[in-house]
Amino acid sequence: MTQPEVAAAPASTDGSGQRPILEVTNLRKYFPVQSAGVIRRTIGHVQAVDGVSFQVEQGGALGLVGESGCGKSTTGRLITRLLDPTSGSMKFNGREIGNLSNKQMLPLRKEIQMIFQDPYSSLNPRHTVGTIVGTPLRVHKMVPDKQVLTRVKELLEVVGLNPEHYNRYPSEFSGGQRQRIGVARALALQPKVLVADEPVSALDVSIQAQVVNLLQDVQKEFNIAFLFIAHDLAVVRHFCPDVAVMYLGKIVEIADRETLYARPHHPYTQALLSAVPDVKQAAIGGRRERIRLEGDVPSPVNPPSGCRFRTRCWMAQDICAKQEPPLLQIGPKHKVACHFAGEYGAMPTSPITLDALGVDQHGTPVSGAAPSTEDLIKPGFSDAYTNLETHKSSSERLVGDRIVDDPKGEGTATEK
Amino acid sequence: MGIQPTELVVSNTDEPEVKSQDVAGRSPTQIALDRLRHDKIAMVCLAVVAVFVLIAIFAPLLTDLFGVELEGGDPVTDTKADSFPAIGPPDYGFTWEAPLGLEPRTGNDLLAEWFYGARTSLGVATFATVAATLMGIVIGLVAGFARGWLDRVIAFVIDIFLSLPFILVALALAPIIVSRFGAQPERLEFVQLCALLFVLSVFGWMTLARLIRGEVLSLREREFVQAARVIGVPTRSILFKELLPNLVAPIVVSISLGLPAFVTAEAGLAFLGIGVVGIPSWGQTVNRAVEFFSTYPLFLYAPVVGICLLVIALNLLGDAVRDAFDPKTRR
Repeated sequence: MTQPEVAAAPASTDGSGQRPILEVTNLRKYFPVQSAGVIRRTIGHVQAVDGVSFQVEQGGALGLVGESGCGKSTTGRLITRLLDPTSGSMKFNGREIGNLSNKQMLPLRKEIQMIFQDPYSSLNPRHTVGTIVGTPLRVHKMVPDKQVLTRVKELLEVVGLNPEHYNRYPSEFSGGQRQRIGVARALALQPKVLVADEPVSALDVSIQAQVVNLLQDVQKEFNIAFLFIAHDLAVVRHFCPDVAVMYLGKIVEIADRETLYARPHHPYTQALLSAVPDVKQAAIGGRRERIRLEGDVPSPVNPPSGCRFRTRCWMAQDICAKQEPPLLQIGPKHKVACHFAGEYGAMPTSPITLDALGVDQHGTPVSGAAPSTEDLIKPGFSDAYTNLETHKSSSERLVGDRIVDDPKGEGTATEK
Repeated sequence: MGIQPTELVVSNTDEPEVKSQDVAGRSPTQIALDRLRHDKIAMVCLAVVAVFVLIAIFAPLLTDLFGVELEGGDPVTDTKADSFPAIGPPDYGFTWEAPLGLEPRTGNDLLAEWFYGARTSLGVATFATVAATLMGIVIGLVAGFARGWLDRVIAFVIDIFLSLPFILVALALAPIIVSRFGAQPERLEFVQLCALLFVLSVFGWMTLARLIRGEVLSLREREFVQAARVIGVPTRSILFKELLPNLVAPIVVSISLGLPAFVTAEAGLAFLGIGVVGIPSWGQTVNRAVEFFSTYPLFLYAPVVGICLLVIALNLLGDAVRDAFDPKTRR
């Protein structure tokens, strides 16, 4: 586990052997808030997505979880260019797509498709299934006009629908069948990236499994990379090898499935996971401690200073209000943004991010201590990283004497 | 017990046939039309409207059939000294020579005038409805989809047009046109017809445009529009292929309720003397018949019955169409 302490990782080495097909770096989307009245002035910004970095490997799947309004759907819409990013970069296959015009984007639309949340509104009620699935084929001239119907029937068969039903209207199908039609439409262009925006949350639980299995089948068959946006942690665990947790427009923790679900290091992830009902524990009568978060999600118009989660965090201290925790890589495939990152019950009592930020435990910059030069907005994982222990000891070294002097001490948890 | 082999064979051979008939789905419009077909009132009204349409189209044929003639009256031979007609009502009984009687003073045949009045009425109403509907659809779609400053400008224009008093503008426009084209009587007729159509269309599109704008505002946030954008469907196709089919119901309802309104408006303007000139019109007939009402009521009844019957039939049909296309608003 112990890795050598490396401040800056060479950019060429990648934690994964696979080539990333989608690379998102420091993506931001601010929606202007305008005043009422004749002359509209911008009086603020909803910081829906604020500096998000991640990457999706070819044929891989990244799950994006978080509560309502945390910006995960906005991220999906930015990648499909339904919305224009405020800043940041999105690279598809190494090509920047964040600043392309609609016309320039058109050929790339083929590669990046989307599956929508609500199967009852994502299909035009006035079009037949044949028209709906055939539209992408016609727009991009995937097949000659005469063969559109044949191809539509093939696609319907791929998603497990009766190909003879191409003449029917969406209202004649059930929710699960409609979602299959939506999948067929997305598959029509043979995309390399599929953004699935809560594809199963509007479906019955019994149907959810079918649709998730269908998505897994098409992923394997056509080697499609998925950005799987969901708030159902169980579905994400089943589907995605990598999972990112978002809170108020930022990724707070991103890791591979095993690490994130077994050893979450961010308090918000811990709280989120503790809210998942567990059948096994209910059966044996054991009770797991549930972390209750107080209060509501703060407004994204005016997010808290420093760490955005501090207003609801049970570990928040002075530094959390002053310094934003960087998204540090602390494991081979594990990044976390918390000053007190650690497994639940064994979280450090002094901030571990001081060496990276070059500040003392109150968030004031220490003279002479330079912040680490590690690329903190790099989308993927690096081969070389600094583990938690090293961060902890070097952070303590940085402010070693002061902690002793400080009457408040290192472990005083301030309730907020 | 058990299924006989013969039965199985029969059901097997039948199945594919049944299936192939069954799979074609019905569009919401087909379902609505089917619903309309089962509405008895709507069908009666449709028949009435169809009769009027046939009268309007075949007015020249019908006048020949009845042996009457438009503006064929001769004040000397067809009217008596008191200016009432020499044959038929009100002084004599029914005669096939003039089934609806002759007009006092001029001796023109009223049946022929009635037939051609239906033609003017329906023609003007249809043209105005089509023009107003097209304007309403395009402006509403653009306003709803554009958002931002264009939407605000269009909304402002709609408000301005809604606040202009229709009758006042129509009254003001007539003398302007008359003074402009007064020198050429043969062009004046055409110009006045154009002016009428213009006034009716220009004051008829706002309601539909507002309705469509509102519908588009709600539809554009639906995921199928987003899906079309993700696919890369051009904006024009999104407007006319994705959104427009979803607006069939409000458009059909607006057309079916707009037609009777335009029939009434045309008659009203003609009555006020600012509608068409030189072309027979029910409204003009009403205007001329008012002074003879005590002595010659049939003169007034014919055009009034025509207007009422047509408007009531169109209105009831419009209501039925609305119910058929929009079952949620059914009482």
